[in-house]
Amino acid sequence: MISARGLKREFSDGDGGSLRVLDGVDLDVKQGELVAVMGRSGSGKSTLLHVLGGLDTAYAGDVTVAGTSLKGLGDHELARFRNSTVGFVFQSFHLVPGLNALDNVALPAFFGAQGGDAKGALERVGLGAKAGRQPSQLSGGERQRVAIARALFARPKVLLCDEPTGNLDAATGGEIIELFKSLNAEGLTVLAVTHEERVSAVAGRVLKLENGKLT
Amino acid sequence: MRASSLIRLVGLSLKRDVRGAVSSVFGVTIGIGALVFFVALGLGIGRVVREKVFPVDAQLVEVVPSQLTLGSMLGGGKIDQATVDRLAALPGVKKAWRKMTVRVPAVSRYDGEFFGSRLHLGLEVIAVGVDAELVRADVKLGEFIDPGEGQPIPAVAATRLLDIYNHTFAPNRGLPKLTPTLLLGFQFPVEFNRSFVVQAKPGPVTATSMQLVGVSDRGILAGLTIPLDTAVRLNKASGVDAETFSAVTLQAESPSHVPELAARVKEMGLKVDEQDRRWAENAGAAVLLTTSALALLSLLICLLAAVNIAHALSASVRTRTKELGIMRAVGAAKADVRALVFAEAAALGAAGGALGSVLAVAAAFALDAAALTWLPQFPFKPDSFFSIPIGLPLAGVALGVLASLTGAWWPSRDAAAIDPARALAG
Repeated sequence: MISARGLKREFSDGDGGSLRVLDGVDLDVKQGELVAVMGRSGSGKSTLLHVLGGLDTAYAGDVTVAGTSLKGLGDHELARFRNSTVGFVFQSFHLVPGLNALDNVALPAFFGAQGGDAKGALERVGLGAKAGRQPSQLSGGERQRVAIARALFARPKVLLCDEPTGNLDAATGGEIIELFKSLNAEGLTVLAVTHEERVSAVAGRVLKLENGKLT
Repeated sequence: MRASSLIRLVGLSLKRDVRGAVSSVFGVTIGIGALVFFVALGLGIGRVVREKVFPVDAQLVEVVPSQLTLGSMLGGGKIDQATVDRLAALPGVKKAWRKMTVRVPAVSRYDGEFFGSRLHLGLEVIAVGVDAELVRADVKLGEFIDPGEGQPIPAVAATRLLDIYNHTFAPNRGLPKLTPTLLLGFQFPVEFNRSFVVQAKPGPVTATSMQLVGVSDRGILAGLTIPLDTAVRLNKASGVDAETFSAVTLQAESPSHVPELAARVKEMGLKVDEQDRRWAENAGAAVLLTTSALALLSLLICLLAAVNIAHALSASVRTRTKELGIMRAVGAAKADVRALVFAEAAALGAAGGALGSVLAVAAAFALDAAALTWLPQFPFKPDSFFSIPIGLPLAGVALGVLASLTGAWWPSRDAAAIDPARALAG
């Protein structure tokens, strides 16, 4: 489902030099797997996720997700890829203020995603009764559930999660982890980058990103 | 991105920063409002100048004898029937109408009822005979032909003369205001070859009367327009030149023929009387210049409004970096983000343009109403000082949108250039 070969990504260090955070990463994730990528802060976990999700294009190497090679895709093709093939879940939820929960879930439809069921996605994460609430009227756990529902809206093939429980307390984080488990059990491929053991504990496979290499 | 989605996102964004939106709309409103107001005023004043003060027909060329030219020394300075025939045969001439001034002085001594007032008045009269066709459309009583000796002479007054009478002479003398219809049939005595100010010619005095039969833009301003045959008869009776004409009015096939026609006329040793046209052009140019200066000032305000919108949108884009990043993450292309910023600007511009246009039109109506009530009557005072063609407010809205889109150019580039990975990090 996900294949990466020789991924390299450098950033400027601000002193005229460069900092290589991905240094020849190879990765294969099969369909239906739940894989955790662990590493300390600043190890390049989020960068890896952004590259795999088509958000970061300034990399070297090859990436193929759900049969789509990202190399050489134009802005419109990449936008379509993000719109329908992958779903993102972020640590800070990133809901759009001013849009209620239902509209936040349906946000991908504003940019072309078709056939999604926002209400069904909200019900799937247990928030069917709070569809009309503004983000400010929801708890942290509920906001993350709305964010997961948004990621599921367009029925993506891969869920990419960036520290999904990083801003949640233990109990709420546990509920979110259970949600990921159940989504994975239904056949969804999940790749989560995290530094939390409780997330990696439910993963079928755990990889470690250190010094730009995945082991 | 679908239009409905775009509209929804624009509404959401504007609703979140109402104060910023109002500030942006206000700037456009002032600029467009001032522009529409001043252009409408300029068009209105220009119309008054063109139609009332100096009503010049763009197809007419007034030919008069030259005072001193090579042509006049060769006999080409006078306008006789042969010259009229040559003028009528020039390429581009549709019609030629002859004019002959009554070449003896004339006075009118009126002592009687004048539309409900007592009038005792003596004044010099200038009469010019013209081919009937020149004013026929405005003759509303009888036929415009020489009635023969002893009969009232049909006379046409100039529209501008009536206006000057109504707004200057009548109020000062306590006389009633008159309309063209009221004047029809009014008779007054005239004595030809008599004057209060100059010496009369040696010939006899002809005492007769005139009857007003119409009011026309083509009537002479400083006098009365009578049938050509009458002028010929009166000149003959007074023993003065009754053969040559004082002017010929040429009607060109189109205004574009006029310059070439004027050149041909000058080649014939004659002169084109362009005084009225020059006055009209000068007055028109003055109005245009003033309007352009005010419109330029308004455009400057629009430019400032565009800068204001640029600042507001730049600030908005900066504060919404994460939001735009998440839109990119869920499928927005750079073009979608740019379209969103442009659409917000267009909405602000359309609202400002529409509001400005409405306020300008309302101000124009209010000023017209105030002028009607408070301003004293004066010659050529119009019913409205403004001319508002339907395209003007629409152009105002379009310009408002254009100014806003111009202001949104850089912010939209910045928004599209947001790196979603960086925006969503942390």
